[in-house]
Amino acid sequence: MVCLTGCNEPSSYPNRPITLICPWGAGGGTDAVSRQIAAHLETELGVPVGVVNATGGKGVTGHNRGFRARPDGYTLTMATLELNMLHWNGLTDLTYHDCIPLMSVNEDYAAVFVHSDAPWETIADLEAAIRANPKTLTASGTASGGAWHLALAGWLISAGLNADDVVWVSSTGAAPSLKELMSGGVDLVCCSLPEAATQMKNGDVRALGVMSPQPVPGFEDVPTFVDAGYDWTLGGWRGLAVPRGTPADVVKTLTNALDRVTSGETTILVGASQVDGEVVRRRQTFPQFMEEQGYDNTRRGPEEFQRLLAERDEQLGALLTSDVMRSVNRDRFNAATFPNALLAAIGAVLVLLVVQRGLRRSGSASESPIENASLRRRSVSRKGVIACTLFVLAIAVYPLAAETVGFVILSAALLGLMLWSLGNRIPTCAAVTLVVVPIAYQFFAGVLRVPLPRGWWGW
Amino acid sequence: MADPALEPTMTAREAIVTALTQVTDVTTLAVIAASAVYGIFVGAIPGLTATMAVALLVPLTFFLSDVQAIAAIVTTVTCSIFAGDIPATLVRIPGTPASAAYASDAYSLTQRGRHLEPLSVSLVFSVIGGLFGTVVLAAAAPQLARLAGEFTSYENFWLYALGLTCAAIVSHDSRLKGALALLVGMLLATVGLGTDYSVPRLTFGSDHLITGINFIPAMIGLFGISEVLRNVLGLSDRDDAGDMRPAVADGAAKGREPGFSVRRLARERWLSILRSSSIGSVIGMLPGAGADIAAWIAYAVSKRLSPNPKGYGSGSLEGIGDATGANNAALGSAWIPALVFGIPGDSVTAIAIGVLLMKNITPGPKIFDTTDHPEQAVLAFAIYAVFIVANLLLIPIGWFAIHGGSLLIRVPRRILLPVIVLFCLIGSYAMNASYFDVWVMLVMGVLGFVLEAFRVPLGPVVLGIILGGELEHRFIQSITKDASAGAFLGSPISVVLASLILLLWVAPSISAMWRKLRERDA
Repeated sequence: MVCLTGCNEPSSYPNRPITLICPWGAGGGTDAVSRQIAAHLETELGVPVGVVNATGGKGVTGHNRGFRARPDGYTLTMATLELNMLHWNGLTDLTYHDCIPLMSVNEDYAAVFVHSDAPWETIADLEAAIRANPKTLTASGTASGGAWHLALAGWLISAGLNADDVVWVSSTGAAPSLKELMSGGVDLVCCSLPEAATQMKNGDVRALGVMSPQPVPGFEDVPTFVDAGYDWTLGGWRGLAVPRGTPADVVKTLTNALDRVTSGETTILVGASQVDGEVVRRRQTFPQFMEEQGYDNTRRGPEEFQRLLAERDEQLGALLTSDVMRSVNRDRFNAATFPNALLAAIGAVLVLLVVQRGLRRSGSASESPIENASLRRRSVSRKGVIACTLFVLAIAVYPLAAETVGFVILSAALLGLMLWSLGNRIPTCAAVTLVVVPIAYQFFAGVLRVPLPRGWWGW
Repeated sequence: MADPALEPTMTAREAIVTALTQVTDVTTLAVIAASAVYGIFVGAIPGLTATMAVALLVPLTFFLSDVQAIAAIVTTVTCSIFAGDIPATLVRIPGTPASAAYASDAYSLTQRGRHLEPLSVSLVFSVIGGLFGTVVLAAAAPQLARLAGEFTSYENFWLYALGLTCAAIVSHDSRLKGALALLVGMLLATVGLGTDYSVPRLTFGSDHLITGINFIPAMIGLFGISEVLRNVLGLSDRDDAGDMRPAVADGAAKGREPGFSVRRLARERWLSILRSSSIGSVIGMLPGAGADIAAWIAYAVSKRLSPNPKGYGSGSLEGIGDATGANNAALGSAWIPALVFGIPGDSVTAIAIGVLLMKNITPGPKIFDTTDHPEQAVLAFAIYAVFIVANLLLIPIGWFAIHGGSLLIRVPRRILLPVIVLFCLIGSYAMNASYFDVWVMLVMGVLGFVLEAFRVPLGPVVLGIILGGELEHRFIQSITKDASAGAFLGSPISVVLASLILLLWVAPSISAMWRKLRERDA
């Protein structure tokens, strides 16, 4: 609500709200970091910065939305490690070459967790157990082929084992996996340290090791895989980037702003408490937030970030295209199992329905009165059909034209047209349109901060 | 570990007093009141879920104390889950998915000019359910969370299967059509990558479909657009302004006095209120299963045990009361796994945990420990207190919302219908700011229109879309671990859930056969 109107300086960037795309869901780690960055950027740049959770498709959606947006600096993306994986899996042709990296803000390394009652004390114990009984232990942490799955598989290969010697049980994220671990559903969980900080603190799970080059600050007692003698590190980076083609001066403004934010030069209000009747406000910098939450705080500038992207892309590409990893995805059950079962079931139900109807027909000629009534109601006027078609067309025009025309103008036109097609008089159509559209715009764009399409006149 | 709420030590008593002072503080009460109004607004707008309402609150919680932040979240959710019933009743578009179970019931009463009855029933039973959920949260959190903690993928699989079974069974026409609708919904849910495999399915090469079908625009389309299209088709040129008003305007006088229905229901059905609130509480505790499943299951149980199940689907106040009580009861108990394990019961508590961590509070069993962590125990008690205040506040605010909302249906339909389309457009776009979602809404609207013409119920389609992915995920998880029947029925909880499902599917056929046999004998 700080600066919705009255900060219009045309021609200078930025002069309107910025959207920050988070490819992952609300409530998760990337979302928390994105919202925090957005709040700081807002104070630094002086325009609202809204976070949009464009989730789904294992990150395909968010990264594509962010990097295929208009390269004007008004769409930022909180990119994640998945940018280095998706194109190797053939899910998208988007690569890190399609973006201009601005600044990476953190890199959380993968760690391996076991139940607090588990028999293994060290990574070496675990390796011995896997070697003795391959394909008996189960692990979870993310979906099959996700970042943490690759981290575990990469370690297994570096230890001279097969990538599928531990059975990977797909899950939707760290939280449900940790719950499975605690209820005995799986033997291992591979995820980042902050994601399991709560359960570690409560003594429910233990970390056997972390895949970082050095011990992680705040978790110094967790040994690294490197110290345990394995040549394997993997971290999930998070960083801000803009689409390729963004003007250099815009990139510079953003990089400078991010530099100030991540170096702790900006603060936002995080709370107020009353001490002896006086209101004490607590302000916090971005690094303070990251530290408090247990997130890694490594920041990298544009060049370093670019190097990290290239390095990870090569590392994961080698892993994902290797035969060992491919064999993991050739299972007895595959992606088509469930849809095929559903199609078969739908076929069966349709057959049953036809049979049932046939039986009813032959059994008695009388149909239910309800069915008769519904048949009679089907007699419709031509005007109704025309109006109905017009409504469908109006809805179809909206996604096609909104981005060029703009929300207010287009929706006013469509609303007016639909009203008119139902036989309202023109003054009524105009009055309803003039009242409803501005109120809707003000409420959604102003109060709820939905980024409604802007179009010709930014309206 | 003894529950401090039941055995107050000195410190626990102090913690309770501190919590109460914090909640009854003027600023906190103002925050609660503002959140209530905000929650009602967002919940009443189709396309904006309770989760979204809370997500939009997060930046504001930076400016609030921890108790105020939690108060804002709890109140917003409580009010928006109730407010979802308002558009469900008036225009058959559930404001939030939790209202989908009984949207047809409530709307068919509206068509008979009796919209105030379902809304009043929904308000009162929401409050009762909400208060019940709070009591469960306060009294049984640690003990019950231990049971939910034993759920592995097998138990979860059966739980989702049970939820889906209920959705298919409650459809009023035929169980086969219900099953068909459910399967279509689940098939739509498999579009895209799925949770478990990085292989696109049923996407026909489209980049957009890789993400899958987002259920918010799908729900707006299936319930909203299909209804608008049906209405538009029915409006013929003979209709002048007077005819076009729904039966409501003149029928209102004929409707029974809403207070009477509520009092009668509350008097005759206090046992079933307890039953459905308990169902809601138990389901709310399970991770991933939130208010929407609670409503479906409570509705199905209510129908199964009702002396006149025929009325369900065409305006059963009993069904509405039971389901709406259950979805509000689920809200309170969703906090149990969140507070005890730090594992959210639904997406709202996931956000709430984020806010708590931001305020330097780590959820976990220690939150109930008054000796070592009195400041965290205060928060636990404050959450209970806020739930009670929010539910009580819902009565007056909800009353105004009902009467304000009822003005909507006095607007002639030929003006209302285009405006609904506009809000559907914004609502489907707002969630992800995506034009593709608008297309999804349109296609689903036409699909819903066609399915309805063949009298296939739409509710199970939506639930199939929402839960299909979860069911597949648990299924795949379970078979990768151990695909044998022994593993699937390896725990008493699994056996109980599986038998319940079997019973629900076969019981009506068996009882029908039994009846036929007896007729033949007689």
